[in-house]
Amino acid sequence: MGEFKVHRVRFFNYVPSGIRCVAYNNQSNRLAVSRTDGTVEIYNLSANYFQEKFFPGHESRATEALCWAKGQRLFSAGLNGEIIEYDLQALNIKYAMDAFGGPIWSMAASPSGSQLLAGCEDGSVKLFQITPDKIQFERNFDRQKSRILSLSWRPSGTHIAAGSIDYISVFDVKSGSAIHKMLVDRQYMGVSKRKCIIWGVAFLSDGTVISVDSAGKVQFWDSATGTLVKNHLVANADVQSIAVSDQEDSFVVGTAEGTVFHFQLVSVTSNSSEKQWVRTKPFQHHTHDVRAVAHSPTALISGGTDTHLVIRPLMEKVEVKNYDAALRKITFPHRRLISCSKKKQLLLFQFAHHLELWQLGSTVATGKNGDTLPLSKDADHLLHLKTKGPENIICSCISPCGSWIAYSTASRFFLYRLSYERDNISLQRVSKMPAFLRSALQILFSEDSAKLFVASNQGSLHIIRLLEGSFKHLHTFQPQSGTVESMCLLAVSPDGNWLAASGTSAGVHVYNVKNLKLHCTVPAYNFPVTALAIAPSTNNLVIAHSDQQVFEYSIPDKQYTEWSRTIQKQGFHHLWLQRDTPITHISFHLKRPMHILLHDAYMFCIIDKSLPLPNDKTLLYNPLPPKNESDVIRRRTAHAFKISKIYKISLSTVSRFPRTT
Amino acid sequence: MVQLRPRVSRTPASASAMVDEGQPASEEEAEHGLLLGQPSSGAAAEPLQDDEEGDSEFDEDEAPEELTFASAQAEAREEERRVRETVRRDKALLKEKRKRREELFIEQKKRKLLPDTVLEKLTTAPQTTIKKSPGKLKEVILQKKNEECEKGSDSKKTKEKVQKVQSVGHNKSYLAVRLKDQDLRDSRQEAAKAFIQNCLYGPGTNRTTVNKFLSLDNKRLPVKKAAAQFLNNAWGTQRKQNAKRFKRRWMVRRMKTSKK
Repeated sequence: MGEFKVHRVRFFNYVPSGIRCVAYNNQSNRLAVSRTDGTVEIYNLSANYFQEKFFPGHESRATEALCWAKGQRLFSAGLNGEIIEYDLQALNIKYAMDAFGGPIWSMAASPSGSQLLAGCEDGSVKLFQITPDKIQFERNFDRQKSRILSLSWRPSGTHIAAGSIDYISVFDVKSGSAIHKMLVDRQYMGVSKRKCIIWGVAFLSDGTVISVDSAGKVQFWDSATGTLVKNHLVANADVQSIAVSDQEDSFVVGTAEGTVFHFQLVSVTSNSSEKQWVRTKPFQHHTHDVRAVAHSPTALISGGTDTHLVIRPLMEKVEVKNYDAALRKITFPHRRLISCSKKKQLLLFQFAHHLELWQLGSTVATGKNGDTLPLSKDADHLLHLKTKGPENIICSCISPCGSWIAYSTASRFFLYRLSYERDNISLQRVSKMPAFLRSALQILFSEDSAKLFVASNQGSLHIIRLLEGSFKHLHTFQPQSGTVESMCLLAVSPDGNWLAASGTSAGVHVYNVKNLKLHCTVPAYNFPVTALAIAPSTNNLVIAHSDQQVFEYSIPDKQYTEWSRTIQKQGFHHLWLQRDTPITHISFHLKRPMHILLHDAYMFCIIDKSLPLPNDKTLLYNPLPPKNESDVIRRRTAHAFKISKIYKISLSTVSRFPRTT
Repeated sequence: MVQLRPRVSRTPASASAMVDEGQPASEEEAEHGLLLGQPSSGAAAEPLQDDEEGDSEFDEDEAPEELTFASAQAEAREEERRVRETVRRDKALLKEKRKRREELFIEQKKRKLLPDTVLEKLTTAPQTTIKKSPGKLKEVILQKKNEECEKGSDSKKTKEKVQKVQSVGHNKSYLAVRLKDQDLRDSRQEAAKAFIQNCLYGPGTNRTTVNKFLSLDNKRLPVKKAAAQFLNNAWGTQRKQNAKRFKRRWMVRRMKTSKK
């Protein structure tokens, strides 16, 4: 009989939404990605491309443009006509300002970072001044006949190129008047009935304007004379995005066929000083339209309708050629969307606008290790809970006993009581939730389902006691020393005494739930935490970081455990450190305190602390040795990390149900 | 007798001459005109010739029949009467249709107006004020009715919705609306979304569905395969609905029997 019964759940129909805009910030090496459902995600490219922050989406927000301004401020504009500024500390929206020009199609921040331009549906280009706490409308430029679909500033800040339908205008910033109007051919050397839409423009410092349009052309214009210099036909379909590097020697364009082209400025002959733009590399990493591209100093970033975010480091720009220079494709979410109720064997799936509750199937058959057992009772879809209102669900949780469901959107918090009688399930909403609970980033129930822990995006932690049909607010832990650091991850110990909470930078705080006081703080590490869990009997806090380091901290002793120190001294196996996806869940074996179970998107691993640690020379992914090998060899090859890659692409939680034999 | 094919479109003059009663003398001329008044172009002349040939198949050798004046006159009169009848009938039908439509409109208008009792109450009690939004008049009526029905019970929802108002006067030339009550859809935003949809996925873009793409691939292989068929979720919707209804009824029955 195998040790675990593994339920392979394949009925979680998670469909991510397509990527619409991408904006790269050079100073902090961060990438802001906005999706078609309104979600904005922030990826930290230096922390192993981990998604550290996100802003939940909204049905009415159809973002069309995203840009960074001076001082790490993020702005977005969309088809509802509003410019939205995001608060990156408190993880909420600071304000939304209507530009009064109709739907906004494009937005660009000035090279100095203090001004913002918005191109609107009515053909006007509006200039805003960025003040320390808000933005202020300054003036309108000359109004054009059709909608302004793309904008670009000249690096000196004196001119602007605006792409519209069938023409490109060049404006002078000081006077606000259009200097040139450059008409674009509808088709490459031909006529066409379909209008030519200029999807992207880029203004270089020598006065060249590069435009990409829906006929598949990349054109170079001279802004001083307003004439076409060079014409490249790159695709049969639209070329939808363009991004230029800071040194202006290369740029990247994305097409509707899924191809990304890299253009570089190379000298005409090997020792001449004259340079020209040449299309150097095509990349086909996408299957659908590439609607957004960005150019960082060392990599090309692209995202589109097929929901993958692809980061392709450029070989000639990367200094150290190691595993970091490989292609990165971010497909799966970096946070947990599934919660589990151990007692009733229920799973709660979180989608953008609804929750689904499923009962796992059961089997009475037994078999050997590796067998597939037939189900005697199929998985059952018990509940489909739709959320009211246009906002997306931020987080959700089901209690271990299965009788409470809680979820939160940006403006409301919902708590439901479930009751099971015979074969029926009924739901009752607990009304009058307090206002401070809304916009929670993480919700967790205690093991005995008597307490609810909520981490809000203001940095405070709330403890609510759950009674039979109502609740009582017990305590709130305020954030330390005035900083508004939003707590993203929570973990509670099975005996209910300790609560661990981690923010994005400041280390992991451990609170004593009985005394309602802060117990200790794990020292801060420069990579964000991806998973947290507290072991049942030893009360060891296991922390996984985005650079694939795993730490074990003993809460009662307030120091790292021996095992953790040993593995830090020796270092992890190089293959372990080269994994792409972050560890999203850690769990424990009830009867074996030496085992830690963890998983990421592509593998499932059990760390046995009693076995020796692997060094770089041993095989990390070792399958079970054949039975007829001698004991000596088996002992030599066995090491602590037992990894299984059979269950690929796991988004699920791992939990240990009590074995009923 | 040779059957005359009505050639109204080509010889309008002759047709009107036929209908016109005040020229009986020219009837025969008209008849002949119909025969002779064919355009000389070959294409038009041929079918008539064919027709004539087909008709006169049986009497090729015989001379054309004589037509008495009386019979021709009678026939012409018949034709003209028939035409008049049809025109009259058409006019009558149109009139009927218009009448019915008018009545329908009047009825709809009557239905749309608030019932008399509610109107009285509104005019006599100017304190209660409800903000109406265009197209949501019926909802407001329902709310008012609900309020009247549940006079004792406090339905908080309706009370919340009933907000500050303007008195409903007889001249409904303007309507004050709260912007928050409007749907989240804005017509400009809708137009913008339609524009993008048209640009990227509308006619003229070289896009196709996955089904067609894969099917074409299958058909272009050296060994042709069947077209790709994806799951059709719209299949058997009626059956599925019936099954759902039956399940619900069965559950209720089961609950009842188990309770007993």
